[in-house]
Amino acid sequence: MTFLPSIPNLLATAAEGPVGGGFWMPRQASPIADVVDDIFFFILWISVFFFVLIVALMVLFVIKYRRREGQERQPSASHNTVLEVTWTIIPLILVIIIFYVGLRGYVGMVQEPLNAYEVWVTGQRWFWSFEHANGAVQSDRLTVPAGRPVKLKMTSTDVIHSFYIPDFRLKKDVVPGRYTYLWFEAPEPGQYQLFCAEYCGAQHSQMTGIIEVVPADQFEDIITQKANWIDDYADEDLARAGLRLYPRCQSCHTLDGSRLQGPSFRETHRLWGQQRVLDDGSEVTVDENYVRNSIINPASQIVMNYPNVMPTFQGQLKEREVRALIEFIRKLDEVVDESGNPIE
Amino acid sequence: MSMLTADHPGPQSNYLTHSRGILSWLFTLDHKRIGVMYLISILASFFVGGVLALLVRTELIAPGETIMGQDTYNRTFTMHGAIMIFLVIIPSIPAALGNFVLPIMLGAKDVAFPRLNLTSYWLWVLGAIFAVTSMVMGGVDTGWTFYAPYSTEEARTGVVYVTVGAFILGFSSIFTGLNFIVTIHRLRPRGMTWFRMPLFLWSLYATSIIQILATPVLGITLLLLIVERVFQVGIFDPALGGDPVLYQHFFWFYSHPAVYIMILPAMGIISELISIHSHKHIFGYRFIAYSSIAIALFGFLVWGHHMFTSGQSAVVNAIFSAITFSVSIPSAIKVFNWLATLYKGSISLNTPMLYALSFIFIFTIGGLTGLFLGTLATDIHLHDTYFVVAHFHYVMMGSALIAMIGGMHHWWPKITGKMYSEVMGRLAWALVFVGFNVAFFSQFMLGSQGMPRRYHDYSDTVGNWLPEKTELFHLYHVISSIGSYVMAIGFFLILFYLLHSIFKGRRAPANPWGGRSLEWQCASPPPHNNFDTPPAVGDCYDYSVLEWDAEEGGYHWREDVPHPNGEET
Repeated sequence: MTFLPSIPNLLATAAEGPVGGGFWMPRQASPIADVVDDIFFFILWISVFFFVLIVALMVLFVIKYRRREGQERQPSASHNTVLEVTWTIIPLILVIIIFYVGLRGYVGMVQEPLNAYEVWVTGQRWFWSFEHANGAVQSDRLTVPAGRPVKLKMTSTDVIHSFYIPDFRLKKDVVPGRYTYLWFEAPEPGQYQLFCAEYCGAQHSQMTGIIEVVPADQFEDIITQKANWIDDYADEDLARAGLRLYPRCQSCHTLDGSRLQGPSFRETHRLWGQQRVLDDGSEVTVDENYVRNSIINPASQIVMNYPNVMPTFQGQLKEREVRALIEFIRKLDEVVDESGNPIE
Repeated sequence: MSMLTADHPGPQSNYLTHSRGILSWLFTLDHKRIGVMYLISILASFFVGGVLALLVRTELIAPGETIMGQDTYNRTFTMHGAIMIFLVIIPSIPAALGNFVLPIMLGAKDVAFPRLNLTSYWLWVLGAIFAVTSMVMGGVDTGWTFYAPYSTEEARTGVVYVTVGAFILGFSSIFTGLNFIVTIHRLRPRGMTWFRMPLFLWSLYATSIIQILATPVLGITLLLLIVERVFQVGIFDPALGGDPVLYQHFFWFYSHPAVYIMILPAMGIISELISIHSHKHIFGYRFIAYSSIAIALFGFLVWGHHMFTSGQSAVVNAIFSAITFSVSIPSAIKVFNWLATLYKGSISLNTPMLYALSFIFIFTIGGLTGLFLGTLATDIHLHDTYFVVAHFHYVMMGSALIAMIGGMHHWWPKITGKMYSEVMGRLAWALVFVGFNVAFFSQFMLGSQGMPRRYHDYSDTVGNWLPEKTELFHLYHVISSIGSYVMAIGFFLILFYLLHSIFKGRRAPANPWGGRSLEWQCASPPPHNNFDTPPAVGDCYDYSVLEWDAEEGGYHWREDVPHPNGEET
């Protein structure tokens, strides 16, 4: 039965925790994680103390004073101001301490260091895109240098998303119509999970990504290569470059003809040069202009029977990348097979 | 004293037999019958919400699609949340048990406005039908929070109808609160001073204050949402020039106090149950009474703690974090006072008491885990993860609903005039208690390890999941789902033996537990008028005047103590 996991294996996983992490918290991949975990365990031990105290007293009283046949109840007071004030003051002092500790940790999170490496982040259903200063654009995978503060300037093109990296203990909502900021520093190269933590619709659980931390001395080369990758493709080979951009489209558009939120690219490819019916009953010719317009201003031409959900990609794609996508759809047959697998 | 006429049947007559026919129920002005109708309707909604919860848990038992696709899943958890909050937990204790018990406990014949009370019930029915049909037909998938601008998008037409439903339900809640406040102010009999009122009434009073002050804000918010949708006026949607974070402020300004609409009456029930089943005077009456009012007032000032990651300024975050901690103090006072009530008591471990004790256990966990969420540094990590899901289920389900179930068992003999099986009661309690903790404690680890809430899938074969996360989340999801099934068995058992008791149960005595508050001086079930003459009021937690009568299977007034009414009961 594949439905249920192998319980012993899973118990072993839980006991060890995830890679580098513990029973409660995932691995600590940023200096802030260290601070947050100290506060977490401080509150945890206070909580354990009070929980054990309360439950132990409750169990003790229930056993000791359980109802017995013919036993008279012992008299006891129905109030005691000194006692009651005491158990008001002690929790009060404790929560003031917890508040202060939590505030101090939080201030450390929001104070941005100088000289941070800056990345513009756009959340849109259902992927993340990252724009670097040198023009490199990444999707669902953010490459940053190890050991250097990184500052994210984030906005959304549609609904509210939330940028969450558990291993860094960081989260910030990504809101349409304004910028929100987040900064982190990851000393160790590696891959860290990124989640969208604010419910954003159908594929919310697939709006995930990877933060790829690379050694600082290699970062410059890697990011330069990422900025100029499309120039490595000759004009006649642009359709293949389009395939590399396709992951940004795949949450809504398939290559095999099946239907998701948007029309399949297979369908658009099949209709190349022909008419397509829009939701207001008018028709449009499927050509370079149609595809370009669908990318830059999608709401202007909604295909009949499809929802108006696609956000604009204006400014997120370079001119040559738009051309690559046009070529990709036009020459779909030459690049992928019927089920959408690349043809070598 | 009894006058046997056609209008006033013999002493055997009670509110159930007072008049007959379905219409005598549907248009009744009797608070007891309205309470019973609420109880049945709310339990039916709880059944629907519970089945949806089981579907959610089953979908999550394995990574990938298990029994439903992502769209169905999103609709299912939305309906689960909306039904459980708006149709079950918010009205459960005040409208069902409160309606039945409040006037009798107070010594009144009915609530102040019986017609308004019936209106509340029918508004609830109307709102429920509106909300549920539009969720089913319109495929609403916004989550119960209806966050803009997701909820204001064109594709989601169902949202307008659901919000109309929630708007109507809000009025039902406001009318009930208004009715209770006036009843407590105006209909107390001679001798029933504020500080002689049972603590359940204090908590219902505090709850009613929140209901009439906070619910209109929800109404206004939902109206603005509808105005934006229908007339394209920019209020929350940035595409029209609105501000989506403003919606969150409005929404939580109601919905955080609403948490106290859920938990305050539950605390009131626990104060009654702990004292009566320990046969000991409640400890620190005034501190408990004042703490209810304190929670009601502080509860209005903490809404911003739902928005620590929303982008609101660090200073605002710090202020809301500080005020949030102030709410924990009155809650802690209550827990310690309940413990002190147990001390040197004479504790009967019957079913209502088991629920009361498990409330202390669960509420302590629910309250303490709130500390992690009120603390800024840790909340940033835990916000919108399963840690929050676990926390609010510990408070809203494990505490508020468990207290409601406990209270239902406590007043069942009074409501139905029948005793249920103690053995079955304890067995079902054990299943619910164990199942609950297995289902929801595992979610604390799930959340602290980083699993976001409202995720349909956690499979590493789709998207960009690291396999290590999938493997760990799978473990806790399996444990959680198993717990939910155990709990479900417990709830079905309760349904079974309570129904059985109505038909086959032993006749209940007037006072099976030894309660001193006025409802235990009425017959079980109470007569139509509750009291023919205003009852004499004493200290409702002084049990020394009662003694056990083995023959009757209940308690009665000690013969050597003069009854305050100067007559025998």
